[in-house]
Amino acid sequence: MTQADDRDDAPRGAGDKPPRQGLFGRQSAPLLPEAGAAGAPLVAVIAVMSFLAVLAMASLLMVNRAASEWTSALRSEITVQVKGADAGGIAAGVEAAMRVLNETDGVIEATVRSQEDTAALLEPWLGQGNAEAFLTIPAIIEVKAAPALRNDLDLLRSRLKAAAPGATLDDHARWHDRLAGAARSGQALAFGVFLLVMAAACAISIFAARAGLAANHEIVSVLHLVGATDGFIAAEVQRRFFVLGLRGALIGLVAALAALLLAGFAVRAGGFDDSFLPAFNLGGWMMLWLAAAPIATCLVTAMTARLTVLNTLSKQY
Amino acid sequence: MEAGKEIVRFEQAGLAYEDAPDTLSDVTMTLREGEFRFLTGPSGAGKTTLLKMIYLAHKPTRGRFFLFGEDAMDAPREALPALRRRIGVVFQEFRLLDHLTAYENVALPMKVAGVNQSQYREDVRELLNWVGLGDRMHAKPPTLSGGEKQRVALARSLVSKPDLILADEPTGNVDPAMGERIMKLFVELNKLGAAVVVATHDLHLVQSIGKPVLRIANGKVTRSAGAGGAGSL
Repeated sequence: MTQADDRDDAPRGAGDKPPRQGLFGRQSAPLLPEAGAAGAPLVAVIAVMSFLAVLAMASLLMVNRAASEWTSALRSEITVQVKGADAGGIAAGVEAAMRVLNETDGVIEATVRSQEDTAALLEPWLGQGNAEAFLTIPAIIEVKAAPALRNDLDLLRSRLKAAAPGATLDDHARWHDRLAGAARSGQALAFGVFLLVMAAACAISIFAARAGLAANHEIVSVLHLVGATDGFIAAEVQRRFFVLGLRGALIGLVAALAALLLAGFAVRAGGFDDSFLPAFNLGGWMMLWLAAAPIATCLVTAMTARLTVLNTLSKQY
Repeated sequence: MEAGKEIVRFEQAGLAYEDAPDTLSDVTMTLREGEFRFLTGPSGAGKTTLLKMIYLAHKPTRGRFFLFGEDAMDAPREALPALRRRIGVVFQEFRLLDHLTAYENVALPMKVAGVNQSQYREDVRELLNWVGLGDRMHAKPPTLSGGEKQRVALARSLVSKPDLILADEPTGNVDPAMGERIMKLFVELNKLGAAVVVATHDLHLVQSIGKPVLRIANGKVTRSAGAGGAGSL
């Protein structure tokens, strides 16, 4: 057989194209091929993980914001309730209580709720018009208090009691503690979901890295035999997973932002804007935190893949 | 004449795959700097296995094995890549990476060693031209014939100017003229100081080159009675 003969069976054409030119010169092919177990399916799974991570992060941020708004509102307000045997007694008690409040340092504003407003608060339980007809409704004084006053309410409480025996002061501590507790639970839940998503991303990366190593066993073996270190091979795999992870993370981030925007529209369309729910927007710091979630997923994926490869290779000769 | 440095030394080394009978047993041999050995023996005798032990693909299961003066059996994993980089291997089944071009396959040992492309680009091109593949540098292995793959594998084994060249049936897929060129190249590289071990069935080739022959039979390495030249076993 001549040299020419041994080339006769080789097809010509596509394989002889020069490599692509990259932005910074000749672009060499990656040492691990594009196709394989760690390809499109991994991008899809990481996209889902990133989507969930962004939603978990958004939940965490919203619970944080809601807890902050609820508790700061509660902490800046106290309520004085004035009871009495009849309307005249209540009015006298309100007058005395207002005098005390107006003389107290740290009271920013004290407002007596009208009888109609107070009765309206009872309507859900007693029905329209029934409260005033059958009950002597206590008067409610809403007080905006400075933080310094809030920290020492015992003196005010005793002065009110002395001036108006039917007056009681509610500092909303019970509600504040409950809301703070609920907020902490919500934060822990959202953070737990975020950690679970990260753990799932780790597990998927381990599986995909092992599958990728098995699928590319021959390539890894050749790299080893020509002198590649474990770190070199792991860096190649890490780079591959980072690129795949970045694609998946971006897809997940865009999908999650779209879902959050839709949820925001739904909340506004439902007329809940001024209700108990916190303001819903994706500006500033919130966007940065949300973008951090898929980046964390991507980094966790790449680092897990690297450690998995190093661990697997360390068991070989 | 002063003997060259030890490149490979086996002392009663053997290899067995799990519970299977020994593939190689009681291998005792030394290869020194500048020595050239043919490795012959019937199919399945263990020629490829012996080469695999030398290029650190398989670890002997008993005995002792020294490579470039270092105990290769007790060496930490981190030390093995540096030893492998001093060896150029022409694998029987080529073992080219199909998704890389001929150029990239030949450059692979330099790339994994972290050498800048500007330092090896011309060497790679020169080698590919020498093996007659200058016009197929950008072709990928699936588009190459068996002989062309063999020559790319040969170029890859030589690009890092190794101290030890191992070739497993290097002329099996090329025409006689190219086979002769390859063997002459090995002889030239050997003259420049590289130790060479060539496993082959081609006794005509062995006789024409006239270098010492190690024969493997029944898992043991013996020096062939007909071996020419001096050499240690």
